[in-house]
Amino acid sequence: MPPMTDPILIDDLTLAYGTQRVLSGLSLRVPAGSITALLGGNGAGKSTTLSALLGFTRAQSGSIAVCGIDPAADPDGARRHIAYLPENVALYEHLSAVENADYLLALSGERQPRDAIVEGLAAAGLQEQAWDQRLGGFSKGMRQKVAIAVALLRRVPVLLLDEPTSGLDPRATADFNALLVQVRARGTAVLMVTHDLLSAADIADRIAFIEAGRVAHEASASGAERFDVRALHARFQAGGAKVAA
Amino acid sequence: MSIVRLIARDELRLMARNRVAVIAVVLLVLLTLVAVASSWAHQNGIAELRGRHAHAAESAFKAQPDRHPHRVVHYGTFVFRPLGPLAAFDPGVDAFTGNSMFLEGHRQNTANFGDARQSSLLVRFGQLTPAFVLQVVAPLLLIFLGYGALARETERGTLRLLMLQGTSRGQVVRGKLLALGAVAMLAGLPAMIGLVGIAGQPGALALPMLAIALGYAGYLALWAVLILLVSTLVRRSRDALLALVALWAVAVILLPRVAPDAANAAVPLSNRLQTEVAVARDLRTMGDSHNPDDPHFAQFKQAALDRYGVATVEDLPVNYKGLLAIEGERLSASLYDRYADASYAAQARQNGLVDWVGLLSPTIALRSLSMAAAGTDFAGHRRFLEQAEAYRFALVQRLNRLQMEDVSYADDGATDAGADRRKRIAAHNWQAMPDFRFSPPSGSTLVGKALPGLVILLGWMAGALASLAFASRRLGARR
Ligand SMILES: Nc1ncnc2c1ncn2[C@@H]1O[C@H](COP(=O)(O)OP(=O)(O)OP(=O)(O)O)[C@@H](O)[C@H]1O
Ligand SMILES: [Mg+2]
Repeated sequence: MPPMTDPILIDDLTLAYGTQRVLSGLSLRVPAGSITALLGGNGAGKSTTLSALLGFTRAQSGSIAVCGIDPAADPDGARRHIAYLPENVALYEHLSAVENADYLLALSGERQPRDAIVEGLAAAGLQEQAWDQRLGGFSKGMRQKVAIAVALLRRVPVLLLDEPTSGLDPRATADFNALLVQVRARGTAVLMVTHDLLSAADIADRIAFIEAGRVAHEASASGAERFDVRALHARFQAGGAKVAA
Repeated sequence: MSIVRLIARDELRLMARNRVAVIAVVLLVLLTLVAVASSWAHQNGIAELRGRHAHAAESAFKAQPDRHPHRVVHYGTFVFRPLGPLAAFDPGVDAFTGNSMFLEGHRQNTANFGDARQSSLLVRFGQLTPAFVLQVVAPLLLIFLGYGALARETERGTLRLLMLQGTSRGQVVRGKLLALGAVAMLAGLPAMIGLVGIAGQPGALALPMLAIALGYAGYLALWAVLILLVSTLVRRSRDALLALVALWAVAVILLPRVAPDAANAAVPLSNRLQTEVAVARDLRTMGDSHNPDDPHFAQFKQAALDRYGVATVEDLPVNYKGLLAIEGERLSASLYDRYADASYAAQARQNGLVDWVGLLSPTIALRSLSMAAAGTDFAGHRRFLEQAEAYRFALVQRLNRLQMEDVSYADDGATDAGADRRKRIAAHNWQAMPDFRFSPPSGSTLVGKALPGLVILLGWMAGALASLAFASRRLGARR
């Protein structure tokens, strides 16, 4: 196999909103077919990192490559390789779940038959009677499921998730984690921002902590060995403690 | 399907799912259809009425018995302005200017010196015509349907969702423009169907109808662009709605109402009474044919005597009273013409001022275009007045010539018992007089007058499109 560069590569990124420096020297890479959990306190810069990967926010220095494309220079090109689940899900209220998925997939040039769409919605845990209802009356969790389905239905090499399980009940969270494992098996590079330490411990291959604008600590799990949730928790409480697999 | 068409289709789907929007569109379509039908019936009624009155006036004129020609001069006749078929689409100033005229000797009786305020843009608000619906109501509907097209996506974060699918800002804006443009054309469709109905009427001219169709299509498309421009610039749809309604109130209601009043203040017109007084005063200074010492008429008399080589008016081979009548009519007509020309010039200046304001309000530009092409503007009114005056002058002078040639000078002055009978001439002379026939302008004349309005609309369109292209690059950007 020819050596492939990682789909997500961030090197020495510095980013400020006006005078407020958010990232200073952040480096991160996510290989294909792996899940990286990005952890950090509120306001640490996790969502900002995803925004930079999507080309919505520009860094002052450092480099980013999404499948070899610099999103600052070619945002449309980079976005074609990315499926993204935002922190605040925005979908169309006047469309049903199926119509939302159909419209968004058609726009990205990946139109899929209804069967595939409802399969995706079902996999994301949306009950059948909601498939053809307009989103107007959906709960937060139901919207989250639609957005998850839309993101996962896109067959792209990079998946960015911003707190994907917020609003999901424990059962749906477990289902979602199972889905992510399937997505990883397709060879997708998954970068997941989360405060859900249980999920992170459960499915992540790597865990990165953002502190003071950079990745202060990184840990890998391998094979059947998983992260110790208590240690992750302790890391949040105290800071500085090593997190072992 | 292309990205742009996908976005357009979704926008139309959103409108179709909004019950209030659907009701509004249906109401507009109904309103236009009612306007077309009622305006049509109204114009047919007017045409029929005017035709009947014109016929009655002609018959009455011709039914006069044998009599002295000067009595016929004073008997006079009525003429009526026939309307072109396009008046059913845009009656323009017709409802506010005189459209019948009493023609008699010695004076010009018209509304042309009137206090009717004939500035061609003084069309009162609220006439239910297809033109009114398209000029005033349709933009409001488009605003209502389109204000949120882009502001809503920015506000709710769905713009980012579109861009996440690799859609560019330009594609989003073009898609929304396609959708709102389609709605604009749909809104104009019933009126255009009415226009096609008018095309089947006798006397309908293809070129002006084309100008009207182009003008209104361009006007509605312009509103679609302006609406999206505001929706692009403003981050909240509520603000977009407020800004657009304000724009509508100024451009569609306020400016077209205020401009003619401002023009009236800037270029005052004298009212009918003032003109009458001034004309009477000038007529006195022009000379008095009954005064043997009057220099003008003394000179005129000498010239007539010289021309025929005789010493006294009794020796002239023609009736000197007829000669005097011809000269008197010529003088008074030229005086009236002078006042009419001054009044026309002032009104043209007023209309010119209003046209300048048309640079600020596309509605004013469209109104002038529409009335000019329909032949119902001030120029169309003036055309009628001038033709009627030419007809009156020819008729009166023909009667004066009959007096000069067929009534002897001796009989004309006689007061004996049989004199009255001797002064009369036969009734067939009145019957031989030609009827007034309004000759309508050619299609190219009408379009020529509509052209400036069309050019202003095109200028607006170019400016609006350029601004939209510029603004769309910053669509959704944080400020
Ligand atoms: N658009 C913006 N303009 C200005 N400042 C911003 C903007 N977005 C984020 N910030 C600031 O940048 C910092 C990092 O924000 P970010 O959203 O990346 O945090 P986060 O790690 O995702 O936090 P959370 O866990 O609460 O989601 C915060 O201090 C925030 O106030
Ligand atoms: Mg965040």
